[in-house]
Amino acid sequence: MWKGIVEWLEVRIGLKDFLREQFTEYRVPPDINIFYTLGIVAFFAYIIQAVTGFFLLLYYIPHSEHAFQSVQHIMTEVPYGWLIRLMHVVGSNLMVAVVFLHLISVFIMNSYKKPRELTWVVGGLLLLTTLTFCLSGYLLPWSQLSFWATTIVTNLPTAFPYLGDWLAYLLKGSEQVSGTTLNRFFALHVAFLPPILVTLFGLHLFLVRRIGISRPPFSKNYPPPSSWTQYRHEEYPEGIPFYPSFFIKEMYMVVLYMVIMFFVITFMPTLFLPEEASIPADPYTTPLHIKPEWYFLAPYQMLKLIPNKFLGISIQLVLLFIFLFWPFFDTSDERDIRKRPLLLTVFFLTIGVWIILTIWGKYS
Amino acid sequence: MKRILVLLVIFTVTGVASGGFKEKFIEEFVKKPWGAPPSQESVCISCHTSDLMKEEFKEIVRQWRQSWHAKNNISCHDCHGGDPKDEKMAMSEERGFVGVPSYTEVPEFCGKCHAGVLENYYKSGHGMALKNDGTGPNCVICHGSHQIQRATIDIINEKRCSQCHTYERAKIMKQALFSTEKKITDLYDAIERLKKKGIYTEELYKEVFRTEADFRLLFHEVNVSLIKESTDDFLKRLSKIEEKTARLFSELRFRQNFSAFIMLLLAGLGIVIFLISKRGP
Repeated sequence: MWKGIVEWLEVRIGLKDFLREQFTEYRVPPDINIFYTLGIVAFFAYIIQAVTGFFLLLYYIPHSEHAFQSVQHIMTEVPYGWLIRLMHVVGSNLMVAVVFLHLISVFIMNSYKKPRELTWVVGGLLLLTTLTFCLSGYLLPWSQLSFWATTIVTNLPTAFPYLGDWLAYLLKGSEQVSGTTLNRFFALHVAFLPPILVTLFGLHLFLVRRIGISRPPFSKNYPPPSSWTQYRHEEYPEGIPFYPSFFIKEMYMVVLYMVIMFFVITFMPTLFLPEEASIPADPYTTPLHIKPEWYFLAPYQMLKLIPNKFLGISIQLVLLFIFLFWPFFDTSDERDIRKRPLLLTVFFLTIGVWIILTIWGKYS
Repeated sequence: MKRILVLLVIFTVTGVASGGFKEKFIEEFVKKPWGAPPSQESVCISCHTSDLMKEEFKEIVRQWRQSWHAKNNISCHDCHGGDPKDEKMAMSEERGFVGVPSYTEVPEFCGKCHAGVLENYYKSGHGMALKNDGTGPNCVICHGSHQIQRATIDIINEKRCSQCHTYERAKIMKQALFSTEKKITDLYDAIERLKKKGIYTEELYKEVFRTEADFRLLFHEVNVSLIKESTDDFLKRLSKIEEKTARLFSELRFRQNFSAFIMLLLAGLGIVIFLISKRGP
């Protein structure tokens, strides 16, 4: 029967040719390293989020009076609901970590350089969409943790003169975080953001395949930088076949990702669900030590350190702008970061400051 | 790099400039806490902690802050009345302010909230003595006032009871209360542990709290035979809650074992894939 289906497709769409072109004959750089698999791991992480999210959606009630109870129902009554929810919660954090690692590896290998500027920009937009996903999803359990962490984040736009209050109101739908905010964030999380993410992901993948995978700049055989004056697909006739050689490495990393996820679920199930996550939202009781999620701690602490909040937000927007359009600022042809001490210093300084701010934000 | 510096300078200058123009707005924003609008501090507390106040009055707030009442958001006005939002009316009798109640008024003062306990207390020898000739112990004799802590059977002790009578009868009562009290304490501990493991425990907590409240009512009557008669009922009620917590702990163990099993399966799969990848094409 399987053969029949393949034959049926072969006659109509030339399936075997397609698979040969896209997988076995498609060659990746011979010196490709394990960090090149992070893109597919991130994609797989998105798929897990989508699948577990779909199952949660079957039982979740997006209403301020029922949301918390419905999540508790999933955790205690629905068969294996706890597993699905923990996979979703732990997965969302690991997904952000993988996306960050992917971004760092692309930066270190200077893979964003001409002709891949657009791939970087779309990747940056994907990161922002991912973070918006996390932000909107965080409120949905309607716990003390989600309620107050969202209150912190949705207060940020009020730093802008004139537009600030309006922006915050647009986000919350009321003066304070309320049932309306929950509805807005729910709609954002399950209806508005997914098509944006899929479109951006499709575009990202299209650009990667259309331009070709960039070669790591660290190997001895790496060709000297040359100017790129017209379009060409970067081919690697001497490279290794995508399938099975590289594909199996990707699968190995995907499994490793799953092992890490289940390690956290087994031994640290409350790592991302502290006590406040098991208390229903109470707008009249502000818990002590409430903090945003770990990936928002650095910008949060930075804002706390700058007394002029408008200046704080402005600087962050400038930094975001620079990050998003970085390939247009870094126009040097040299791709080996080891030969660029200034860039290397900026990189380590940024990572160091980010880590310090995150730790500071966590314990301040 | 030059472009970045230029951009940073432009935005910093604009930011500082707009910041200056919008001083009032920013002031308001800076004053806003990151969490939520501040809960207005009671004027009783702000006045009683100010330097204008005598040390002994300041001490009241210090003691209250350590108390079980403070932990449960029971503030000054909840007992003493008055208006905690209006400095002028904070101690107004019109707003129900009562300063220090007289010795015999104390049970009614506390009984505004602890109505059930009040009823049972008046049935006891303690309550009757207070009502008849003002000699019986009132609530603060055993529980203290501003520094009040969560009640336990340790309140019943030789030092305290023998101030007025022999300890013998109190000792028998304490022994009768012991098993129930221990079960209640163990259940609270178990609930705390479940909470730390991410389990929603509010309903369970309420169940224990309700049972504990009924239990407290019981022994304010200071009737040993009544306590002995009721102990079985309380133990049954608590055992039912204990079964629920045990089920939750067993569920947590199952979850851990199940996810560990999947983790091991995946790790095995990972090793197989790794070995295949090492074999080469």
